[in-house]
Amino acid sequence: MRLHQWFWLALGATRLCSALSAAGERVLVMVPTVDAASEYSDFLDSLTQRGFDLSVRGASNTSVALHNDDSTREYDHAILLAPAARRLGALSPRNIVRFVNDGGNLIVAASSDISDTLRSLATQFGVEFAKRKSRIVDHVHGTAGHTLVPSSHYANTSAVLSDLLLAAQNAPPVYFEGIGHRYKESPLLIPLLTAPRSAYSSPPEDSVLSGMSLGLVSVFQTRTNARVAFSGSTALFSNRLLRKKDAANRQFVTDLSQWVLQEKAVLRASPLRHALAAGGRPNHYRVASDVVFEIDLTELRDGSWQPYRAHDVQLEAIMLDPYIRTTLNQSSTSSIYGTYRGDIRLPDRYGTFTFRVNYKRPGLSNVDAQDIVGIRPLRHDEYPRFLSAAYPYYASSFVMILAFLALSAVWLWSAEKKTAPSAPPASASKSSKAKKSKKS
Amino acid sequence: MSGKFLGLSAADQTSLLRLAILGLISAVAIGSRLYSVIRFESVIHEFDPWFNYRTTKYLVTHGFDKFWNWFDETAWYPLGRVVGGTLYPGIMVTSAAIYNALHLLNLPVDIRNVCVFLAPGFSALTAIATYLLGKEVKNATAGLLAAAFIGIAPGYISRSVAGSYDNEGIAIFLLVWTFYLWLRAVRLGSALNAAFAAISYFYMVSAWGGYVFIINLVPLHVFTLLAMGRYSNRLYVAYSTFYALGTLSSMQVPFVGFQPTFTSEHMAALGTFGLIQVVAAAHYIRGQLPAQQFQTVVRGAVLVLFTVGALALAVLTARGVIAPWTGRFYSLWDTGYAKVHIPIIASVSEHQPTPWPNFFFDLNLLIWLFPAGIFFSFRELTDNHVFLILYSVFAAYFAGVMVRLILTLTPIVCVMAGIAVANLLETYSRNAPSASNSNEPVSMGKRLYALLPRAAVVVNFMFFLFMFQWHCSWITSTAYSSPSVVLASRSPDGSQHIIDDFREAYYWLRKNTRPDAKILSWWDYGYQLAGMADRTTLVDNNTWNNTHIATVGRIMASNEDKAYELARHLDVDYVLVIFGAMLGYSGDDINKFLWMIRIAQGVYPDEVNEQAFFNHEGQYSIGDDASVAMRESLLHKLCYYRFSEVMGPQSFDRVRKQRLPSKVELDNFEEAYTTENWMVRIYKVKDLDNLGRSHHMAAEFAGPRESGFSPF
Repeated sequence: MRLHQWFWLALGATRLCSALSAAGERVLVMVPTVDAASEYSDFLDSLTQRGFDLSVRGASNTSVALHNDDSTREYDHAILLAPAARRLGALSPRNIVRFVNDGGNLIVAASSDISDTLRSLATQFGVEFAKRKSRIVDHVHGTAGHTLVPSSHYANTSAVLSDLLLAAQNAPPVYFEGIGHRYKESPLLIPLLTAPRSAYSSPPEDSVLSGMSLGLVSVFQTRTNARVAFSGSTALFSNRLLRKKDAANRQFVTDLSQWVLQEKAVLRASPLRHALAAGGRPNHYRVASDVVFEIDLTELRDGSWQPYRAHDVQLEAIMLDPYIRTTLNQSSTSSIYGTYRGDIRLPDRYGTFTFRVNYKRPGLSNVDAQDIVGIRPLRHDEYPRFLSAAYPYYASSFVMILAFLALSAVWLWSAEKKTAPSAPPASASKSSKAKKSKKS
Repeated sequence: MSGKFLGLSAADQTSLLRLAILGLISAVAIGSRLYSVIRFESVIHEFDPWFNYRTTKYLVTHGFDKFWNWFDETAWYPLGRVVGGTLYPGIMVTSAAIYNALHLLNLPVDIRNVCVFLAPGFSALTAIATYLLGKEVKNATAGLLAAAFIGIAPGYISRSVAGSYDNEGIAIFLLVWTFYLWLRAVRLGSALNAAFAAISYFYMVSAWGGYVFIINLVPLHVFTLLAMGRYSNRLYVAYSTFYALGTLSSMQVPFVGFQPTFTSEHMAALGTFGLIQVVAAAHYIRGQLPAQQFQTVVRGAVLVLFTVGALALAVLTARGVIAPWTGRFYSLWDTGYAKVHIPIIASVSEHQPTPWPNFFFDLNLLIWLFPAGIFFSFRELTDNHVFLILYSVFAAYFAGVMVRLILTLTPIVCVMAGIAVANLLETYSRNAPSASNSNEPVSMGKRLYALLPRAAVVVNFMFFLFMFQWHCSWITSTAYSSPSVVLASRSPDGSQHIIDDFREAYYWLRKNTRPDAKILSWWDYGYQLAGMADRTTLVDNNTWNNTHIATVGRIMASNEDKAYELARHLDVDYVLVIFGAMLGYSGDDINKFLWMIRIAQGVYPDEVNEQAFFNHEGQYSIGDDASVAMRESLLHKLCYYRFSEVMGPQSFDRVRKQRLPSKVELDNFEEAYTTENWMVRIYKVKDLDNLGRSHHMAAEFAGPRESGFSPF
């Protein structure tokens, strides 16, 4: 049968190729100079250990490009750790946006010394960094001259952050040092880590940024599921902070990088399948027929594709407006995917319907599986016949027929021998019979 | 005259001559409708014919059962259209039958050619039917003249040139044929002829919505005869048979269904049917009870019954038992009605009241012979002539209300003119004037004296008829033979230049877009898009859903962001606009824009306001002095986007004779294709920005250099 089995076979194949990330393992790391990479060696080594193939390049190396000559991506991920560099190889904000639009994932780390390139890049994602040279200050909790700020104001997205950070009581905070940003309200953007209430961006700007409105680390997922992270701090990835005692930095950075590099919370769906409950898949469904919908969902978690489990996967049948919106139930699971199924009676309305599973949850990849199918009205011979409500009409027509036959019989065989009544008074219809043309 | 020729008697010679004349008339009728094929090509014209052509193709490829139950999901997206149940299948079935018959004879004719030449073919049949009708009501001379008139009358040719594959093409034949059979049935009192009339009526019902004219005119004829005290058994037999069979069979057409039992358009027929039963009963009673004053009693009863029936009808209509009159019907009585209440009806050019010159344009000589024919009919008031007079009066009224109803007027005008001319010729060309019967020898001078005035009249009239033919050919050639899908213009040196932008655009869509792409355009182009581009449309010429059309109008009239939101909600992939400013083609979307706005305003009065589209001087302007709503509307932007780049910044719109707007920015839509003469412009609706930005911001970021290449 099944197309979708091929789909899973293909997915299995990609799984074998790249052990960890759903997107690939080629990573470009931009550092101010190649020597400076040692500052981030813990972070970079952890990536190598996780199976990524790192290319570490200095910012002044102009031969670095994200796309090769025939416009395909050179890398699957890019990590920009050179916030102050005026030039990032040959990369312009446009190149980088194009890279993301082509499906590349991106980690951008800024610092107080942020370049215009990064600033204008961030604006495109709804992240607006504070002015150059400003930094996060917390006079209450901050250490190291009040600029090393502890925060545990996480966005509550279990898809990105592990339970160790979100659920654990008395978990140590994440220490942050660098520049803050303002973030836009957008369904695509999650302010993953925001500043504590006592922290603010110094020097203050026209509108004071502090507390919840002051973003420290924000993550962004594009509509095509490319992932981007903006951190106001390069130090977050440095050995200095990663090795800090009594801090959740290591866990946080691991979660963050795993999410951005598509090692977790990656959701894949099969195409939406549907067929008549009685079996068979016609080109059009008839109104009010019973149809089975199925979709398989799988999630990349802990390094393997596993069945995705949820109770909020919904199916919609839309024609201008949703006619049906119903929750699909997990009906069966294989080792890789879980199958969600709904037995649905189609609306009693014909038209071109879009059946759609539009599953968008913060942090998880977007799933938008849809199929456009016509629902047709009854055929001319599919209407019910011999309705009980119509029996009086049937009866009356038969009575009429019988009465007509009876009357005819009476008229034909009655004794009257006279001819039918004579023609009515002469009308002037003679002239129309005349054949005057003969004369001409 | 009475001498033997070819060994035939005089009567046989006359019939042969008649047959030959009728054959020639048919040949002329067909021939004069072929200008468009010779000038352009064998192509389907206009808008509605494209739908008929597409459905005919579907019928031929998929068979009748599939056609009958066809649900078309590519029309009226996403509502869909139950095609099988919402069309008059007569013309498609006719073409398919001809097509199959030809193929049975191993004549592999393309279905397109069958469709293109169907209307001219049927015009020959119309000529024959008109001959029979004329012969029925007057004599063969009148019949031949009427046939000749209808063969070439522009009023009929306008709807039946080759390629004009529309319902009217066969419906006029059926109209005349049904009336002929009806009159014959009334004259002979023949149930058989009435049954034939009913079958012909059924064919008519299956072919054209104008059947309502028949089912109101025939009862009116009956009613008038009853009111004139002309009840006869012949009338009773004819009408009872016709109504019972005709109504039952008309209900077999799915689009009509049970309408004859509950809509007001059909109530007159039902009422008359009841009335004639009562009258028949009364006559029967009179036969049993000889009473002198019975006639008056009957007349009184008729009037009372009529009044009661009309009252009952009014009450039932008011209470909604009988479906209320439709807007199209009201607009038949009040020409201003549609403009106020239903802009969608008023927006169709063929629904406009007829301007006076049109009558002379379409009927020429006939229009002044017409009253003469009515006069002659009155002089000799037979049952048939009563019918002709009623037909004349009503058709003349309706033709004055709506341009396209000149079509139903044309047959009766031709018959009346035939009667008038026949009377005239018979009077003036009679061979033996009464004077010559006497024994006195007639002097040469006297004979000449008698001949001259007659010759003067006849020759004069021959000249008129000749000029009429001249006029008809000229009109047909210049006015009615343009396919409107393909346009032609003349260069200064007289050579013809073909403008084929429509087909260019439709072909581009067919070849360059996904097969399930949804294309938004104003409804005028829906059938052509479906037929030529084979893509899904949102609205088309079957204007059954005013709200959906208003939504499209609203998209066109909204500002870009709102339009984008609405278009995405409707899953639109491409937007197509017609733009005539380069060629000076005045039938473009900017000129239709006010109708779009009015229709949209009717449904969304809070969103669209007609007044906002006029500038501060109250003018309909498109340039820099246009109102804000106008300049920001989607249609304006789609039309004028980058237009000044090709015309030059200081140039003029050739239709509106106004200066072009200096700056038109477009962000949410992307130009996909523009045809050679800029008549059709196609835009792609951009996807949502991948980064959630507005397209304006994305475009600014992408910068002017990369405007050709859009990575987002």
